[in-house]
Amino acid sequence: MKRLILLTTMFCFLLPGAVAAQSVPEDFLGVPVPESKEIKRTQKRLEVMSPKSHDEVLGYYKDKLEGMEDIKIRDWSDQSYIEDDSNRPWHSITIDKEPTDGKTRVVIMKDNWTWIIGTLLLRYVGVFVVLLVLLIGMTVSGKIISSRVEKPGEKK
Amino acid sequence: MTSNEILDLLFSTLRTTGVWNFQFNIIIMWAIGSLFIWLAIAKKYEPLLLLPIGFGIFIVNFPLVPMMGYTEGHPHLIEFFYHYGLEWEIIPCVIFLGLGAMTDFGPLIANPKTLIIGAGAQLGVFITFTGTVLAGFTLKEAASVGIIGGADGPTTVYLTQHLAPQLLGANALAAYSYMAMVPLLQPPIMRLMTNSKERVIKMRQLRAVSRQEKILFPLITAGIIALLVPSVIPLMGMFMLGNLMKESGVVARLTDTAQSSLMNIVTIFLGLSVGATMHADKFLSWKPLFIFGLGLVDFAVCTVGGILTVKIMNKFLKEKINPLIGAAGVSAVPMAARVVQMEGIKYDKSNHMLMHAVGPNLAGVIGSAAAAGMFIAMFD
Repeated sequence: MKRLILLTTMFCFLLPGAVAAQSVPEDFLGVPVPESKEIKRTQKRLEVMSPKSHDEVLGYYKDKLEGMEDIKIRDWSDQSYIEDDSNRPWHSITIDKEPTDGKTRVVIMKDNWTWIIGTLLLRYVGVFVVLLVLLIGMTVSGKIISSRVEKPGEKK
Repeated sequence: MTSNEILDLLFSTLRTTGVWNFQFNIIIMWAIGSLFIWLAIAKKYEPLLLLPIGFGIFIVNFPLVPMMGYTEGHPHLIEFFYHYGLEWEIIPCVIFLGLGAMTDFGPLIANPKTLIIGAGAQLGVFITFTGTVLAGFTLKEAASVGIIGGADGPTTVYLTQHLAPQLLGANALAAYSYMAMVPLLQPPIMRLMTNSKERVIKMRQLRAVSRQEKILFPLITAGIIALLVPSVIPLMGMFMLGNLMKESGVVARLTDTAQSSLMNIVTIFLGLSVGATMHADKFLSWKPLFIFGLGLVDFAVCTVGGILTVKIMNKFLKEKINPLIGAAGVSAVPMAARVVQMEGIKYDKSNHMLMHAVGPNLAGVIGSAAAAGMFIAMFD
């Protein structure tokens, strides 16, 4: 009897924890989360597996985020990427196109400073690239024109 | 008429006046508008722009004035200029047409490696972007604030209208104010970033540039920008068209119109429209003040970026470049180049660097346009 009571008590304590581990918050950082199973969760990142297909999950988010400003949806080869360009607490929602064990992986990320710094560095380098290409163009055209202008003078 | 009817009539007339609808916060805007008018007239700080901007701020901050907005679907006077000139991004492009018609790219063509200085001077743009995001601005707002450091008015207006039109007034005002203050802001930074040995570096006289090169330059530049940063081709394309008109020598009437009458017309409408966006209800918040403060930091870091770029280049070059010309990498044409000249002759009266500084100055215009294009591409 005592053992039964002890087991029942332990089960009552463990069960909510088990349910909480399986259940997914209705939203994460203000982003609604579709029906899914939570895989990994930190303060900045939530990864879930949804039984819905990629198109269904994408449709879900298009519906939920409709009318919101500064939301961009990018169609990449292996993922759909929903990005916030304003200052919401979440930065991106990634939806894999290839299912894993028949489920779709969805990742929601918080303010992504890695993305911000990375894209800034890339674009700063991009400015150099543009001007370098222009430098090469000007140097080559300058040399061609200078030699053509000199040639008639030499012939004389 | 009864006395009640007379009183009613008087009160209804009174209610249509600005006096009845007066708000005390507009006094602050009158002071700000007056300050810019004073700076333009008394101090001659960028008067072509600060005068109409200051007046725009002043005149729109009276109650019930039909200057900005709509009545029964019809735009008011300045709203009309704003909608067709700025919202449609026409005015910045036409200003660049006029600027191109006034510009001689010879010093840049003669020394194309100064293009790298123009790129390096955009450092502050990207650093300020980061700081602005940290302060709670959206990414688009941060991009529009960042470009202020490029010290290019039309590019700032173009990018801000594209990404964050709600900040147009504050950004444009900051950009033009700091452009006007180049002679005050840059010399201390130049002295801090260079030593006495570097300041007296003499550079070889620039080679002569042929007419064919000057004609080809706008075509090559427009083509490369169109291929690499197509989003900014409305600005740069017009810039290059103006320059091609000038260098061709066959359309003197068009060149003359572009650089004088047309420029003057759009400058009036630009200044007035930008000033008129600054109504007390929108402008009096922490954001414009923050933008002003951050714009100063932005500008300083851009100057530092230009000088640092020259110092790095000098590690690889046999013929050294005087680092002072790095400060001209901000695109405040031609003021930044003149500041370099004045600073240079302080240390060596025979070291005239004006033409050497014009190269990076013009490169800065292209660099800030490229940076703006990068930001537009980020959100497209």
